[in-house]
Amino acid sequence: MNVKQMACIFAVLVVLSCLCISVASAHRMHVVHTLSELEIEAYFGGGTPVRDADVKVYDIDGNLYIEGTTDEEGKFRFPPKIGMEEYEVVVNATHMPGHKGETTINLSQVSAGAGGVGTEIPLYTRVIAGFGYLIGIAGFAMAYVYWKRNKK
Amino acid sequence: MVHISDGILSLPVLAAGWAITIALLAVAIWWSKKKGNLEEEIPKLSVMTAAFFVASLIHIPVGPTSAHFILNGLVGVILGIFAFPAIFIGVVLQTVLFQHGGITTIGVNTVNIGIPALIAYCIFKWGNKGGMTLMRKELSVWIFGALAGGIAVFLAVIFTAFSLVLSNEEAFFAIAIAFTVAHIPIIIIEAIITGSIAVFLLKVKPELIGGLGDDD
Repeated sequence: MNVKQMACIFAVLVVLSCLCISVASAHRMHVVHTLSELEIEAYFGGGTPVRDADVKVYDIDGNLYIEGTTDEEGKFRFPPKIGMEEYEVVVNATHMPGHKGETTINLSQVSAGAGGVGTEIPLYTRVIAGFGYLIGIAGFAMAYVYWKRNKK
Repeated sequence: MVHISDGILSLPVLAAGWAITIALLAVAIWWSKKKGNLEEEIPKLSVMTAAFFVASLIHIPVGPTSAHFILNGLVGVILGIFAFPAIFIGVVLQTVLFQHGGITTIGVNTVNIGIPALIAYCIFKWGNKGGMTLMRKELSVWIFGALAGGIAVFLAVIFTAFSLVLSNEEAFFAIAIAFTVAHIPIIIIEAIITGSIAVFLLKVKPELIGGLGDDD
């Protein structure tokens, strides 16, 4: 009984002391954050930056939020709008009419500061994949041709 | 840079591109059935499609932008009418794997690259008609091969500018001139490549050159 009472008091003390920690910290430190700009980068396959391209940023409802042009490195920065989580960025190359790229930025899902097609599979893998498809198509075509010949 | 992206062209232009592509693919299949020796063509077709597929990765910086190889003239000279299906497969793979152009514009892009290839084939074939001694034949194969290679790129550029203009009603000449200027190095290099490969094949294995056949 005695031990039980002691334990109860001890437990209450522990809980109380825990509650006191935050209250007692007199030197409160403030950490605030600002998200000053979002950066997008546009480049052609092979890594050439898309210079002087028209950039248009739309909000989730499709309203134009901001527009501008990319710099020499194909980059364009714009301040995010408070309360707006999703942006639709459309880049139109002016030096190469007919070339257009789009990406959707979702701030709640941005991880490690990068997104879009920058996270694509390496080029050589895609070249090998292409050759693979071609060999496959050629194989099917040959199989078909020989099957037809044997039928005759 | 002759691959047009999604969301730029108007619907009639896209539809026309697909219609022409499907029609020409049907013609090529009908032609291969008529000739009946497709199995000999398949390895050649695959190699040329592979070359066309990767050529677009080689960029040459020109002023503020860059242009890449197309190689449609060479494909046309060597494959003849089969250049069209080869380029169609190549464009599909470039779209899916390299994001060159868009899914909806595969039709238009195939037409813009493939029809100049067929025209290159016609130029090459027309230029090398008639019996000649081997020495003069080499010269004419080089000249018309180079001509075919250069004109194919030039026409692809013009076709691309034209399909953009059809959708946007922009100034045709401004786009066409900007495009052509950006492709001048490509036109020259592809002319030399096409002419040289045609001459090389003429010496090594002339039956590989579709443009020299007499039967079709």
